[in-house]
Amino acid sequence: MIDSLEADKVRAAARKVVEKLVGYSVADDDTLVSSGLIDSLSVVQLIAALEKELNVQLPAATLQPDDFDTIDYTVETVMRVAK
Amino acid sequence: MDAQSFRRQLEENLLQSPEQVLLRIVDAHATVVELTGQQILEQSRALAATHAEGAVTGSVVLLLLPHSAELFLLHIGLVLQGYVPAILAWPTSRVDAEKYQRNLLHQLRNLPAERLITIPALTQNLSHTLPFPVEACTVAGAEKWEEVFSSKVNLDDGERMVSEAMPLPAEAGALFLQFSGGTTGAQKAVVITAEILEAQLERLTETLAFTTQDSVVSWLPMYHDMGLIACLWLPLWSGASSLHFAASDWLLNPGVLFEYIERYQGTFTWLPNFAFSYLAAQFERVGEPRLLGSMRGWINCSEPVRSKSMDVFADRYGAWGVVPEALQACYAMAENVFAVTQTKLGEKVPVYSRTALRASGSQDTTAGGEGRQFDLTDEVYVGSGRPLRGMQLRIVDPKTGAACAERTPGEIHLLTPSLFNGYWGSGGLRTSAFQDGWYNTGDYGFMDGDELFVIGRYKDVIIVAGQNIFPEDVELAAGTVEGVYPGRVVAFGVVNEQHATESVIVIAELRGEFDPARKRATERQIYQTVLTSIGVAPRQVAVVPERWIVKSTAGKISRTETRTRFMTELFNQVAAKPAQRDAVLQGK
Repeated sequence: MIDSLEADKVRAAARKVVEKLVGYSVADDDTLVSSGLIDSLSVVQLIAALEKELNVQLPAATLQPDDFDTIDYTVETVMRVAK
Repeated sequence: MDAQSFRRQLEENLLQSPEQVLLRIVDAHATVVELTGQQILEQSRALAATHAEGAVTGSVVLLLLPHSAELFLLHIGLVLQGYVPAILAWPTSRVDAEKYQRNLLHQLRNLPAERLITIPALTQNLSHTLPFPVEACTVAGAEKWEEVFSSKVNLDDGERMVSEAMPLPAEAGALFLQFSGGTTGAQKAVVITAEILEAQLERLTETLAFTTQDSVVSWLPMYHDMGLIACLWLPLWSGASSLHFAASDWLLNPGVLFEYIERYQGTFTWLPNFAFSYLAAQFERVGEPRLLGSMRGWINCSEPVRSKSMDVFADRYGAWGVVPEALQACYAMAENVFAVTQTKLGEKVPVYSRTALRASGSQDTTAGGEGRQFDLTDEVYVGSGRPLRGMQLRIVDPKTGAACAERTPGEIHLLTPSLFNGYWGSGGLRTSAFQDGWYNTGDYGFMDGDELFVIGRYKDVIIVAGQNIFPEDVELAAGTVEGVYPGRVVAFGVVNEQHATESVIVIAELRGEFDPARKRATERQIYQTVLTSIGVAPRQVAVVPERWIVKSTAGKISRTETRTRFMTELFNQVAAKPAQRDAVLQGK
């Protein structure tokens, strides 16, 4: 799956998921977890929504809430670890 | 037992089987650092000697470090060397470095100490602003944090007004300090003496029939009494083993708890209530089944115990070896070192029907006093167990001060051998005067026979995922945001059904003209400030016009009445947000 994963597609998915989660659109470098927009207990649900949206698996063992702190980080993280 | 005898006894206990691994710390590279009793003694002493060199014995040494073997060893080593360590909360996620450091200095005003040990980057920034030495300790895997704090922060003179170095009087007999709240505000550093620590550990050991064969597995932070006392000091003192990994590693990978339990034949773990619900909800993500039959106690502690959280956990993991009889509950607080009551191992926790309590004529939702509402809508209350040996409990009517009859709720008061004697703060050591020796916990509950049932709290403390949050600290932090009417901020907790814990709500009045853009900007600023200062993200921040917050007849801001107004007028509006969030998460 990772081969066909394009950064633009991931970014669009991340924006969509984050926007629905936060309630309004945020800039790609706005902090989400460290600003309190998404609480750390909900990060795992953000991951689940991303997995569903992109039809990929994100192995939790290597991840930290900080890896999803902005849309930019989220895109990097997904590109790096998605299976 | 005095502090000196305690240290000698600890050394003896650690050397009972000098070759046995007693402490396992999973570091930031997922390496399990293993330490035998002998190694704990040698390495902890060496580390403490290096980093506390020059500090006066008996003085308070603050530890501000991420989860690491060094943090554990320094804490133990400083105790062994006769210093009084105090572990400060490490930020839970990436923070705004400048704001964090300013806030830290602000908090340290209320905490006289003689030394701070922290990571090199923070040492550089803080060493010129504190009136005592700041010592650098390099920690494995802290590169991320070194980067976060790498830029030099120019802290102006106003920020340097921290409390002077002040020694803790030797007669206090202190071993270490533990904080009863999530932040280091005034009067919240509980002085733990050898006498009360030993009293607690001895009773906990006998109640749990805890032996050298036991094995504790924990992700709880060391600045929390449940992590520090139950998961570290109990096994250390008993010569049993414990394994500790970082809370941040558990959050996205909750199954790692089960992995370590299986690998190290875990027998005990302590978890706040939300963790039971969280683990159950994450069943699909926790990976391959693990053998969990070695566990004698999954102890639910530090926030109100919910029957449904325990049930759903037992249902999900029954096939893995989790038996309902191993799900236990405990009532504990830093002011009592740790446990006051504990349910009986090997038996299912007792429950008491809420309807039955009502039928007996007792009010369980509007407790006398301030007319406080308890939001729990559970059908049953879960027992917290019986008092540990020699610990006395009484239930008191808050209006009359008279003792309540059995099965009649009131305030919980304690008289125990491990009860604290004082707090350490800006005024030095403040010994606490209790009424006839009894300590009013501010919690609300009832007794059924000798079983305690905790319903909620009179005090305004908010418990978020097991961590005590003082509304005053949240209000102080939110009040520093530009545009907020000085002093017109209220914080309180609401039940968070989704995570089976509580969430923080902040209401702040906006000074001057009230327009939506300013409201939105101020709300975001408050979110960020509270998270940076307190370490907890509020569920909702509501910026309101001047004079929205309710005052009592005496002209004082009323948290209770403001909360009621919020729940009636605003909560329904903001409740749409989590619902919307759930819909997204379920892919709707």
